[in-house]
Amino acid sequence: MPHKAKILAIDAGGTMTDTFIIDEKGEFIVGKAQTTPHDESIGVANSSRDALKYWGMLPEEAFPTIISGIYSGTAMLNRLLERKGKRLGLIVTAGQEDYLRLERGIQTYLGYSYSDRLHVATHRHNEPLIPRERIRGVRERIDLFGDVIIPLYEDEVFQAVEELLDQEVEGICVNLLYSYRNPIHEVKVREIAEKVMEKKGVQVPLFLASELYPVRRDFPRLNTLLVEAYAAEPSRGQLERVQNKVNELGGRFNIRVMASHGGTIGIDAKKLAPTLVSGPIGGVIGGKYLAEKLGIKNVVCTDIGGTSFDLALITDGEFHIKSTPDIARFILNLPLVQIDSVGAGTGTFVRVNPTSNRIELGPDSAGYRIGVSNEQENLDAPTISDCNLVLGLLNPDFFLGGDIKLNKQRAIEVIDEKIAKPLGLNVYDAASGVVRLFEDSLKNQVVAMVLGKGYAPVNYTLLCYGGGGPLHVGGCTEGLDFEDVIIPTWAAGFSAFGCACADFEYRYDRTVDLPIGGIGQLDPMTVSVLLNAAWAELRQKVISQFEKSGIPEDQIKFRHAVRMQYQGQLNDLEFYTRTGEITKKEELDEIVEEFENLYGRIYARSAKSPELGYLVTTAIVTGTVPVEKPDLPNEPLAGPEPPAEAHKGTREVYWRGNWITADIYDMEKVKPGNVLKGLSIVEAPATTFVVPPDQEACLDQYRIFHLRKKVNKFDIGGI
Amino acid sequence: MAMDLSQGKVYGIGWAGRTLREMLEESERLFRETGRYYGLEKLKLKEKDPIRYERIFSRIRGGLVNARETALNISASPIVKELGELCFALYTPEGDAVALSTGIIVHVHTISDAIKYMIRNNYEMNPRIRPGDVFGNNDAMIGDVHNADVHTLIPIFYKGELLGWAGGVTHEIDVGAQYPGSMSYGQANRFPGDGFIVPCEKIGENDELLKSYELRAQMSVRSPMYWLLDEKTRLAGCLMIRDAVIRLVEEEGVDVYKQFIREAIEEGRRSFLNRVKEMLIPGTYEAPSFIEVPFKDEPVNQLMQKDTMNHSPLELTVGADGEYILSFEGANKWGHHSFNCAPSPMQGALWVLLTQTLIPNDKVNDGAYLATKCILPYGSWCNPDYQNVSTTLSWLFLIPGFTGMIRSLSRAFYSRGYVEEVLAGYPVTCNLMQGGGINHFGIESAFTNFEISSQGTGASAVKDGEGFCAAMWNPEGDMGDIEAWEFIEPLLYLGRRVKPDTAGHGKYRGGPGMEALRMVWKTDHQYLYNAGDGYTVNGGGLFGGYPGSSGYRHNMRGTNMQELIKNKLPYPTGDGNPEESEMENLVKAEKVDFDQQALTFMREYGEWDLYLSMQRGGPGLGDPLERAFSAVEEDLNEGLLSPRLAGSVYGAVIVQGEDGKWKVDVKASEERRQEIRRKRKMRGVPVKEWMKKERKRILKQDIIEPVKDMYKSSMELSETWAKKFRTFWDLPEEFQFD
Repeated sequence: MPHKAKILAIDAGGTMTDTFIIDEKGEFIVGKAQTTPHDESIGVANSSRDALKYWGMLPEEAFPTIISGIYSGTAMLNRLLERKGKRLGLIVTAGQEDYLRLERGIQTYLGYSYSDRLHVATHRHNEPLIPRERIRGVRERIDLFGDVIIPLYEDEVFQAVEELLDQEVEGICVNLLYSYRNPIHEVKVREIAEKVMEKKGVQVPLFLASELYPVRRDFPRLNTLLVEAYAAEPSRGQLERVQNKVNELGGRFNIRVMASHGGTIGIDAKKLAPTLVSGPIGGVIGGKYLAEKLGIKNVVCTDIGGTSFDLALITDGEFHIKSTPDIARFILNLPLVQIDSVGAGTGTFVRVNPTSNRIELGPDSAGYRIGVSNEQENLDAPTISDCNLVLGLLNPDFFLGGDIKLNKQRAIEVIDEKIAKPLGLNVYDAASGVVRLFEDSLKNQVVAMVLGKGYAPVNYTLLCYGGGGPLHVGGCTEGLDFEDVIIPTWAAGFSAFGCACADFEYRYDRTVDLPIGGIGQLDPMTVSVLLNAAWAELRQKVISQFEKSGIPEDQIKFRHAVRMQYQGQLNDLEFYTRTGEITKKEELDEIVEEFENLYGRIYARSAKSPELGYLVTTAIVTGTVPVEKPDLPNEPLAGPEPPAEAHKGTREVYWRGNWITADIYDMEKVKPGNVLKGLSIVEAPATTFVVPPDQEACLDQYRIFHLRKKVNKFDIGGI
Repeated sequence: MAMDLSQGKVYGIGWAGRTLREMLEESERLFRETGRYYGLEKLKLKEKDPIRYERIFSRIRGGLVNARETALNISASPIVKELGELCFALYTPEGDAVALSTGIIVHVHTISDAIKYMIRNNYEMNPRIRPGDVFGNNDAMIGDVHNADVHTLIPIFYKGELLGWAGGVTHEIDVGAQYPGSMSYGQANRFPGDGFIVPCEKIGENDELLKSYELRAQMSVRSPMYWLLDEKTRLAGCLMIRDAVIRLVEEEGVDVYKQFIREAIEEGRRSFLNRVKEMLIPGTYEAPSFIEVPFKDEPVNQLMQKDTMNHSPLELTVGADGEYILSFEGANKWGHHSFNCAPSPMQGALWVLLTQTLIPNDKVNDGAYLATKCILPYGSWCNPDYQNVSTTLSWLFLIPGFTGMIRSLSRAFYSRGYVEEVLAGYPVTCNLMQGGGINHFGIESAFTNFEISSQGTGASAVKDGEGFCAAMWNPEGDMGDIEAWEFIEPLLYLGRRVKPDTAGHGKYRGGPGMEALRMVWKTDHQYLYNAGDGYTVNGGGLFGGYPGSSGYRHNMRGTNMQELIKNKLPYPTGDGNPEESEMENLVKAEKVDFDQQALTFMREYGEWDLYLSMQRGGPGLGDPLERAFSAVEEDLNEGLLSPRLAGSVYGAVIVQGEDGKWKVDVKASEERRQEIRRKRKMRGVPVKEWMKKERKRILKQDIIEPVKDMYKSSMELSETWAKKFRTFWDLPEEFQFD
C-alpha cells in the first residue's frame, strides 16, 4: 500500500543527519546520511532519500504531501564549540571590558564531574568569543531602579564604533548594565552607530541586549546575546538553504526549528539562539504529546543513552522551564526545558579504585562506542553494556540488528580481571552488581526529582526511551510505585518523534520586577496595569513573528505566565496564569495564591515566607499555532498470548545470583494485547527491552509497552 | 533519655538503650585502643557484598546532594545561592560524618564538633533530644569556623532510637556584631563584639523553628530576612536528608544501615592512608607563613592598637604508612583581635584544602579526619586558651596559615612525578569588602561581597595558574553578576577589570587577580572595611617563583565625581597599575587613602566616594628567567604585566609597535637574562656568611617591632620551637626577644 508522507523531522548531527518521516497512519521510517556542514541541505536530501527507500519512494514523490517539517541540528552548537562564528565587536558599560576574560568563575568548571569541580588544578577559563581588543567600554551607568546615574558619554560611543568598524567587525553587540530596565543608552548607542556606519559607508548588523534579551543578570545576558550574534545568526543561511532544498523537492511546507523552550519557531525568527540546543528536549516534548494523547497528567521522562541519563518532569501536562541554564560551558539567559542530565549511560566505564578498592562508575564513558566486547574500539575498561552482555541481557549477535558482532568472551575476561577479582566476586556477580548499582543510581535520580517537586512516584507515569532505556527500565523502577511504566516500541527513535510533536510556538520573556507587598510595594492595581502592559508588549512581539509566516493574530493561542519569588530571594518559579489581563484585584490574588501553593509543594512546608512580600520578576507570553502532529499507531488488540513467530527462542540469563531461562521475543512481531511474562527479553534492532522475572509487559494498541508487577491469573482485570 | 524508676536505670536514646555519651565514649575508647574506627578490623559488609555497600553509599550521597540542590533555592543570599556557601552532611549518633554533599567542605568536621559538644554536655537530659527537635550552632569555640557560618542540626530517629544526625551550614551576610558585616572586626573580645551567637541551642521543635528564636534572630542581626531564609534553607535540607535516611533504612534494614555507617568511616580512614602512600613521599616538610596585623594607628579598641604579625610555622610530617601530621608548634599567642582560630576552624581549613588537592572525590568523610593529626599549641592563635577571644574573621589567619601545606604537598607531588598536581600555593582571598549602613532601599543593612571567592590560582609545574576563579576555602569560586551584587550593596560598579602585576612571576606565573572600583550611591553613609595583606606577601612562590603581589588600599572620600560626571569628564573605571594610578590621575578628593595599609578598621563613606577592591593573583613557580618570551609578550599585550616588570623580573627587552602591541626582542633579552644571572652571582653570598650576618642582627635584636613581637610570643609559648630557633641560629640558650 503506498504511503502518504505527512511529517518530516530532521536531526542534523555533527557527523550524521537523521530524518524521520511519518505517514498519516503513524508509521514511520528513519534515514541516515553524512552531514554536509558546508551546505546542510545536501545531507538533508540524502538522508530523506535513504529513509524513503523503505517505502520505495523518492523525495520528489513524498515531499509534496508533507505538511509539517521540523529541523533540529548541532551546527550552531558546533560553530560555538569550535569558535568558528562571526567576527564581532562588543560595546559594554565602561569598566566591564574584561567581561569575557573574567567570565564568571563558575564557567571555569561548568560541565565538570564533581571530583574535578573540587580539583582546582583542573579549572580553566573558556576561550573568549570576542578578543579583548574588539571590546570597547563606554562611560554610562544606569542603576537597578532604571535611573540614569551617569549619562552616556556619547563621544566615547562614536570612537568605539569607529574603532570597531576599522577592525572590520561583521557585527556589533551592545550590552549595558540594567538595559533591560531602561534601554535609553543602548538605543542611543544604536543611533550613534548608525550615524557612524553611514559616514563610513559600512553596514554591519547591531545586536542590542535590551531588544533581544531584556532580562536581568548582566553576564548570562551578555553570553546569550553573543551566542545569538556569533553562532546563531550565521546559521540562518543554512536554514534557508534547507528550506530551498525542500521546496526544490516539491515540499510546500515551511521548515520550523526546534527551540529551547520546547516549541518550534520559524527560520525567520528574530532570535535564533534558542535553537542552540534542541536534541535532548525532543523526548520531553514527545512525552508531553504522549501524555495528552493517553490522557496522563504527570510523566517522568527518562532517556538512557550511551553517555548520559536525562530526566525531565511533566506535571499537570506541562514541562518545567529553567531560566538560566548552562550550555557548552556558557551560562545563558534562555528558557530551556528543564532536563537533569547525569553522566551515566550504557557506555559508562566501570572501574575499581585501587586506593579504596571500591567500584566507580564513570564519570567518563565510551561515548558512541560500546565497550571492550567490540574489539575494534580498543577500549580497556569495561562498560555497562559489557556487563549487560556478560549477563545474557544483550545478544552478541543482534547488536544494532546484527550489524556489530560483540565478543562476549572478551567482556567476561576483562570484567573478571578488572572488576570481579579485585572485589573477590565471580564475574557474573560482579557484572550483575554493577548493573544494579547503575540502575540504583538512576533510580535515586528519579526519586530525587519527583520528591524534589513535592510529589511521590505514585502520582507519575514513568516514560522510558533512548537506546538503553528499555534495557534498564525494570531495574530503575524496581520498588517504586509509579502509576504506570510505559515504553514505546519506538523508544530508540523517540527523541526524533518528539521533535515532530512540537508546537509552532514563540515565547518572549521580559524582566518586570513588580513588588506585591513587602519593601517598596506597589498598589495592586498598579502592579496589574504594569504586568498587563508587559504582557501586551510581549503579545505584540509574538504577533509580529507569526505575521512573518503569514499567520493572522486570530489563529494564535496565547498563554501568559510569570516568574515569581518571595521578595529578596534569588530563585523564582514559573507558572501559567489564568488570565493575560488582570482586571480586578482578585485575579492578582489568585496569582499570589498559585505561587504560594507551588512554592510550598516544591520546598519544605516550613520554607514559605509570605511575610517578605512577593516579586513578579518576569512576564512571559507564549503564542501557539496548531500544526500537524504525528498520529500514534493504532492496531487492533489480539489476545494475551504472543504469536509463535514472535518467540525467537530462549537464552540463559544471570539474574541476581541465579541463572534463569529467558524467553526471547522479536519486538516487531509482538501484537497489541500480548502479555510477555518476565523474564523475557524483547529484541529490536535499535534496542532491547528486558522484562524482569517478577514483572510482565503488555503491549497496547499504540504499540506502547506497559510494565507492571505480574498479575496473578486469578486476578480480575487486564488492560 | 528516660529513667526506669523501678530499676533506677537510665535508658538512652542511643542504640540498644545506651546514652549518646556512652556511645561516644565507647567509640573513642575503641579508636584509642585499636587505631581503627569503632575498632573495626574487618569491613564485613563491604567485603561480603561490595555492591550493596556501594549502593547504600550512593543513596546516602544522592540524598545529601539532592537536599542541597533543592534547599539552595530557598536562600536569598547570593553568598549561598550564587556562590554555593552551603553544605549538608550525615552523621553517626556520636557525630562522625558519614558522607557529605557538594558545596563548601570546610564544615565536615565543625558540625561534628558541635554534635560531640552536645553529647558531652548531656543534652540528652537537658534540653533533651527528641524527634522533630532542631538545634542551631555558630559558636567557633564549640565547633565552627566563625559565627558567620551557621549550623542547623536535627536528630534522625527511627523507632525511638537515634540513628544519627543531619546537619547543614550556610554563611550569613551579617551576624549582628558590633560592626556591620559577616566577618567584621575591631572588637577586642567576643563579648560584646562578635554579635549573635547560638551556642548549640535548641531552636525548633516538631520540625519547625520556634517563634521565640526567630524573633531573637530578627532582633539580633542587621539583615534578618537573609538570616531567616537561610535558617529555612538549612532546615528544609536537613528534613529532606532525614526522610531519605528513613527510606533507606526501611528498605535495607536498620542493622545494615548501622553496620554501613561504621564501615564507611573506617573505610574512609583506610582510603586516606592509602592515598597518602600513593601520592606523597614520607618525610618532614616545613613551610612557614606570616601575615600582618597593623593596628597601631587604627581607631580600634585600645587593646588591639599595636603592629604585630601572625606566625604560622607549618610543619607537615608524612609517615611511611600514610600518617599525615600537621603541626603548628611555634605559633604565636592569640590576640585581642578577631583573627583567632579555634581548633575546629583549623580542621575546616585542612579539609577544604585536602579535598581540592589530595582527595578530590565524593567519598570523603570523617574517616579522613581520623587518619590525620593536627598539633595545635594550646594558648596560640590556633588553639586559644581564653574562651572569650574574638573569632569573627578567623580566615584572616587561617588562609595564610595553611599556604605552607599546599607548598609542602606540591613538593611531594613533584617528587613523585605528579607534576600536573603541583600548585605553587594560593593567595589570600582579599580584599574582603564588607560594611553596612542605610542602603539604597532606605533600610538598615549590611553586606559582605563574595568576589573574594575568585582569586588567581597558583602556577602548576606544567602551566600558568588560572585567573579570578577560586578561593582557598572554595575551589568552586564565582564572582557573581554585577546586577546581583548591586541589589544588596549601595555601591555602583564603575568597573571590574583584570589587575596588572598581580600574578606571581615565575617560569609559570600564577593566575592573575582582578579589581573592582565601587562608587557609593543612593545612600548618605556607608561603613566600609579593607581587609587583606599589604605589607607581607602570602602564598610564597615555589621553586624560585614569586608570590602573587600583596595588596594595597586606595579609597577616596569627598570626591569630585559628581562634577566629573556632570561635565562628562573621564572618571576611573579601575586603578590599573598603581604606579600610574587612574584614580589619582582623574579624581580629586578631600581624603585619600593610598598606601599599603590594606587591613583597616571601617571608615565612613558618603555618596560619590570611591572604594577600590582588589583581588589577588596566585603565586608563580620556577625562575622567571626561564619563562618563554612568547608568554611574556602575551602577558604584556593582555595587560597582565607592566613593561617595567617585564624588564626587571623577566629580563625581557621590549619594543612597542605602532599598533600599541609589545614585542620581545629575543636576542637582546637573552643577553639581558645573562646579565641578570651574572649580577645574581655577584650579589650572592654563601649561606653560612649570610646566616652569620643575620645572626648578629638577631643578637642585637635589630628587627622591626612586629616581627620581634611575633617571635617573642612564639618562643614564650613553645619551648620546643624556641629551642629550634636558637639551634638554627646558633644562639645562646638564654636568648629571648625583649
